This record gives sequence, C-alpha cells and structure tokens, in this order.
Amino acid sequence: MYGELGNKLVQHAKRTQSLAHLPPYQAEIVRSVTREVRDLDKDVSAILEPFAGSFDPSAEPATACALLVNHLCMRRNKRCLLAYHRVRSDKLEEMCWSGIDVLERQQQQQQQQRSGRNGGESGTSLGAEIGNTSSLSPEEEEYVRQYSDLLAAYKGQWTDIDLTGSLEPPRDLFIDVRVLKDAGEIQTEYGSITLTKNSQFYVRQGDVERLIAQGYLQRLS
Amino acid sequence: MDIDDILADVSREGEPQESRDLQELTRAWVAERVAPEILPYPDALMDRVLERIRRQIELVEEQTGNMDPKTNFRLIVIQTELERFKFLVRSFLRARIAKIDKHPLHILQTASTHLSTSESHYITAHQALLSTHYHSSFLSQFPAALQRLDDTAGGISMVDTPDTDAAVFCRALRDVGVISVEGTERAFEMKRGDCWVVRWNAVRERVLAGEVELI
Repeated sequence: MYGELGNKLVQHAKRTQSLAHLPPYQAEIVRSVTREVRDLDKDVSAILEPFAGSFDPSAEPATACALLVNHLCMRRNKRCLLAYHRVRSDKLEEMCWSGIDVLERQQQQQQQQRSGRNGGESGTSLGAEIGNTSSLSPEEEEYVRQYSDLLAAYKGQWTDIDLTGSLEPPRDLFIDVRVLKDAGEIQTEYGSITLTKNSQFYVRQGDVERLIAQGYLQRLS
Repeated sequence: MDIDDILADVSREGEPQESRDLQELTRAWVAERVAPEILPYPDALMDRVLERIRRQIELVEEQTGNMDPKTNFRLIVIQTELERFKFLVRSFLRARIAKIDKHPLHILQTASTHLSTSESHYITAHQALLSTHYHSSFLSQFPAALQRLDDTAGGISMVDTPDTDAAVFCRALRDVGVISVEGTERAFEMKRGDCWVVRWNAVRERVLAGEVELI
C-alpha cells in the first residue's frame, strides 16, 4: 500500500535500462498498482462524502492531511507506471531503430520453448505457460507494430540517406568483410555477389551495412 | 560593420554555393548535437543538399555501369564524398529525432515551428501512439482527474523540459557586444573569434541569429 509496489516497478525499470534484452512485462504489479490507485481514489471520495462538496481544509487539518497523502500516493503511482512503461517503450523504439525485429524474435522464442516443451512430453497447461513466456504485453506488441510503421513512414521520406544507417563517420568506401552466415545473393552497383559462409569480400560499405548490423557479415579491420 | 566584416563578406562571396552549404550543414550538425534545445530546421539548406545528393547518386549510377571501378578513381572520390554527406545529414536528422523523442510535449507546446513537416508528422503520430499505449496499459483505469499526461497541478509540471542552463562551447563569428548571464552578475564582451563556455540560454538568441556558432 501507499506506493510500495510502485517502487518495485521503478526498480524494474532501472534494471531494464542496463540490460541488453527486455525482461518480462510485470503485468501483475502493474495491475496491483492500478488497483491501489482506484482504492485510494475510492477512499478519497469516501472521506469527502460526508462533507457534500463543502470541505474546508483549515477546519479539519487531520482529514486534509489524509486526503493529501492519498492524493500524493496516487500521483506517485502514476509517475511510477509512466516511468516503467516509458523505459520499456524507449527500449523497444531503440530496437526498431537498430533494425531488430522485436515481434519476430518473440515468436521465435515462443516457438523454441514450445518445441522444447513438446520434446519433454509435458504439455498439460501449455497454452497458459506460452502466454507467459512473451516478455511483451499485448499492448506493447501493438505499440511496436505501430511504431515500426511510423518509423518506416518517416524513413521513407529520406530514401537517399538511409536514416537507420551507421552513425559512425565513414572512413573507407570499401571494406573487407567475412561472411558469418549464408546470406544468399545481393545486388550491388558492381553486379551481384553470392555470400556463402566463411568467404571474404572487398565490398562497398553502403551495400552491406544492413547485413553487418543483422549479423550476417563481420567487418575485418 | 568594420573592415574585417567587409573583408569576410567579400571572401565569402568568392566561395561557390556548394562549399558554403557544406559549411552551413556542418555548422548546423554541430549545433544540433551540442544545443540542449531543438533548433529551427534549415529548410532551404536541406533542400539544396538533398537535391545535390540525389544528383550525385544518379551520376554514380550512370557511370558505374560502363567502367571498371578500380580504375575509375574520380568516381571513388565522388562516392566517398557522397557517403560523408549522407553521414552528415543522417547524423543531423537523428540528433533531431533524439531530441524530439526526449521532450515531445515540450516541443509540441513551445517549439513546433522549429520542426520540418515530416518531423511534425512524426512527433504527433508518436505522441498519439504513446498516449494510446499508456491508456490501454493502465491509464484508462485511473480516476478521470489523473488521466492527463501534461498535468501541472501541485506545483510540478509533468512535461519534461530541456535543461537550458546547460553549458555549451561557442565561438563568436563577429563582434556581438556584451552578453549577460541571466541570474548571475556575470557579463562579458564577446569579440569576433572569441571562444567561451557559457550557459545555453545566455547565447541562445545570438546562435539563432547566426552571430555565434556552437563548437
């Protein structure tokens, strides 16, 4: 009560900031904090009810103080919830910018867990558990989907620049790369190159930047 | 205006528009990365630069088809320059987006004229997304009085604002006269070529007027 759970959320948010991945959404705590706010609000209206709209704080300092505490707790909880969600959505936006497909990754994780569990022959409460393995809330998934669209729309106006490209100042036009995973054939201005695993190429940086970011290629210095 | 300014103006006119644009773009890029607030979007400059980038890309595409890239040295120079220009523009736009994401409500309320059209689209759409996200996640179950995102009740504004007291490094491009730092007794004269570390809000107007550059 009185902001204790909100504090937990803030601690989660703080921890999230220094993690590379996104930890599971704390749906239970979020629900409890929201419930706390509603309860506090009910308390406030219950306290105010006998006064029928003509409450004078200076006449009843004790009641005024109780109201103030309740009110501040609600505001604090709201801030904690906002902070928690903002940290997470910032993280998701960052992933969108760096070209990680968050939703696809989620699905992969779920599939892996599903197949792992099927192999272990323990499929009693499968559905419920799979629901829990996603580290995003349904609202967050929706948010990611829409933000990617928004980002794509904004990026689309700068096709020549490639906004999500590298933010390191370019030094060389051509770089040496080694292929880490088969990436198939890519088209460049100098013709097409087939990228097979373990081969090395001397290519134009702009052509392969995406593939380096996605982990198909490694840059050799 | 003294003889130095006249000389500066004359030598400036000798330079072609292209190099002046590069200088302007670099200046805008540095300023945007250093200044705590979002600066006005340089519409005309960006149009010119983007147009030139597009032309260069076309040129490169035309010429690569029929020549061996190893021997075509001129093309390599053009492409390298092109990559650098693209980097400048990209970094510039990303610096702006970072600020837009950081203080969206503040910018919408006070500095929406500083944005380009596509940036305004982005900021409104993004803000709408965020508030739907908050609402569907928890805010909709809150008492109505607490559902706002830009509440200023209780003496604390919910809207996060950039720190205009942050120190910036700057250089005077011409004599700008006396600058007094608000809230302190300090006042100093800034002459052409002088470098100072000073609070952003003290030199803000001068930077916007182009008399001082951020470094």
